[in-house]
Amino acid sequence: MSYTLIGRIQTRVVSVLPALLVALALQRWWAIELVALMLGIGLVLDVAVYHRVFTYQPAWLALPLGVLELGLVYGGMRWLHLMAPLRWALGLYAIGWVAAQLFGHAIFPRLRLEYAEDGGELGRRGALGAVAVATIVAGGLGAAYAVRPPTVHLHGTIQGPLVIRHAQTLVGGTVKGGILIRADHVTLRNVTVVGGEDGIDVLDSHHVMLDNVRIVGVSLDGIHVRRSSVMIEDCKITSPNGPWVQGIDISFSMDKEMSMVEGCTIVGVREGIVTHMTMVDVMHNHIGATSLRGITMGEMSMGAISHNDVLGAHGVGIICLDHSECEIEHNTIVGTRTDPTGDSSRAGVAIEAHFFAKAKVKHNTVIASPGGVQAFDGSTVTR
Amino acid sequence: MRCAIVGSGLAAFATYATLRHGGLPAEEIVVFGTHEDPTEVWRTRAAAIRQQRMRSESDGHLAPAAFPGLAVREAARRVSPAPLLRSVTNRYHPSVDDFLAHADSLRSRTGWERSFRLQRVERIRAVDGGFTLDGEGPFAHVLIATGHPGLARPDAFPGAVHAYEPHDYASKVAIVGAGMAAATEWLNALAAGAEVVSIRRREPLRRPLNVPRPFFSKRGLAAFHSAPTERRAATLRELSTPSYPAGAAWDEPVRAAERDGRFRVEASPNGSEQVIAATGFRHGFRHDPLLADLVDAHELPTHDRWLVLDPDSTVATLTDETRTLSVAGIAGQWAFPAADTIAGAKYAAHAFRRRACRTR
Repeated sequence: MSYTLIGRIQTRVVSVLPALLVALALQRWWAIELVALMLGIGLVLDVAVYHRVFTYQPAWLALPLGVLELGLVYGGMRWLHLMAPLRWALGLYAIGWVAAQLFGHAIFPRLRLEYAEDGGELGRRGALGAVAVATIVAGGLGAAYAVRPPTVHLHGTIQGPLVIRHAQTLVGGTVKGGILIRADHVTLRNVTVVGGEDGIDVLDSHHVMLDNVRIVGVSLDGIHVRRSSVMIEDCKITSPNGPWVQGIDISFSMDKEMSMVEGCTIVGVREGIVTHMTMVDVMHNHIGATSLRGITMGEMSMGAISHNDVLGAHGVGIICLDHSECEIEHNTIVGTRTDPTGDSSRAGVAIEAHFFAKAKVKHNTVIASPGGVQAFDGSTVTR
Repeated sequence: MRCAIVGSGLAAFATYATLRHGGLPAEEIVVFGTHEDPTEVWRTRAAAIRQQRMRSESDGHLAPAAFPGLAVREAARRVSPAPLLRSVTNRYHPSVDDFLAHADSLRSRTGWERSFRLQRVERIRAVDGGFTLDGEGPFAHVLIATGHPGLARPDAFPGAVHAYEPHDYASKVAIVGAGMAAATEWLNALAAGAEVVSIRRREPLRRPLNVPRPFFSKRGLAAFHSAPTERRAATLRELSTPSYPAGAAWDEPVRAAERDGRFRVEASPNGSEQVIAATGFRHGFRHDPLLADLVDAHELPTHDRWLVLDPDSTVATLTDETRTLSVAGIAGQWAFPAADTIAGAKYAAHAFRRRACRTR
């Protein structure tokens, strides 16, 4: 179709309606922010690029342009630190894209006979509809902005422990002695924690985001999460203060929203990432030189362990434990060492299912780990 | 009767279907025409050149709403996504049979027969509150869709059979022209085993549709409508250049025949037993007695061979809040350069519906 600029804009704005309705139904600010981001990027492209480049736009172009816009929206999400769960975000984008195709090729031509010859313009009613949709998006965005948590910038070193009881975004700085989070919608970004028993404690809190936090010299857990939902991205946990330190422990959160640990580097602890009774995805992490296990998904946990590197673990690299259900895919496990106790379940096992656990194992790379992939005590490993 | 449609071809039928879709009852519309079947004239011409596929795409049908198009219907009928995939890549051209079957089905749904009157209108006059047609009326809203004003026959070949007339192929055939009909005839004659001599004034222009795609929407039309009169006429002359689509389906048989010495371009028939004039139609409103009479009687504005129309295909001097005179089909080119296509017919029909239904 040969769109006019007004036609492009009206079509774009009204077509976002299904995604907007889904976002409103989700009752999450990130969803409305994401729809606003999709719409904003689309409109900028319409005005600055598409209108100039495409005097005629064949239908097949919707696919490459959709991929381009998806990339830009994802980049925008990261840049704006939009706390959207990736799968939901992709789903919302897919709804928006499919809706745009249905509106452009079926619904608008059906409802407005002149749609094609008017270059995508929707007439008076369509223009009013576009204004209404834009108003709802802008209103939602304004409301999200108005109720956003305050941002606190830390400078220098703060003597902790620091207790957070209200929604807020904490940025930068170094905290000695740990941080305790007891509120929903808390974000820690670029914060360093030194010393203390637990580096960051998250208790009974939802929608907590830990982004690029560094934890050094703790004596129990780097990040200790109980009955909460968290997103942990790009964290670094090193230099444990004692032999019993765990990197990240997320437990007893089965009835909470799904948690995620992504892009973390954890070195020299007893267990790198461990979960109990939790739904969690563990992806793209780098775990090194653990003395008990690299990654443990235990006690009826459910989730994916994918694209992780586990190097030089003592005894076990990745374990799906105690009635848990795990999808273990695309991981690289190198140099898992045999525990000298003689326990066969710790004989340098790269991937293990133990005690009635169910592990789906695909496309993993196992190097120099004499125990390979094994199941023990009524567990199953399917490939 | 509020509305009258003069003509009973594809453009007339597209307008009728659009008015009915707009909620106008059949009893408020009268169609004056010479053929009860609105596809008859077109069907005869398509059959003469053995046309199998339409040049138009999925939305090239006569129903008022573009969706569902013929690709969607074919995909549903065949339970196959192939027509849809071809459509999104601009490679779908419905078969003539599908187009005609859909038109027949639409005709039975719209009640065309209830509005049709077998009568050739020879005179239209503006009167208070509308127009009279051969003294009958007045009708508040009239759309003229009388179609092409006859076949163009080259003077240089008085014995030629026109491509749009029924014909067979001799063993050596000269085909005059370089447009869609000519290209179709090259392939027909070659398929029939004939040797083909192509006589043309210019190299064929390769274009997927009759005019560049932006001219089918406001995007291209806005500049066209705002252009000075002579530039607009120049654009129409340029767009009138014969063309046919690019593609191997057109080129390969010709190339193969060239290699075998069965196809060549020459300036004269050079001993051909048969000359086929694939030269299209006569140009200009003067060749249409009804339009010529209307222009003379009401001193309507014209430019060169074109009737000057407003962008909504109406005759400005005879259209106001209470009445409408619209022109669809080839005579409506001043408003829509591709007026002789199905898209052109619908363009005029949509504007006519807006006026007819607004003042109902």
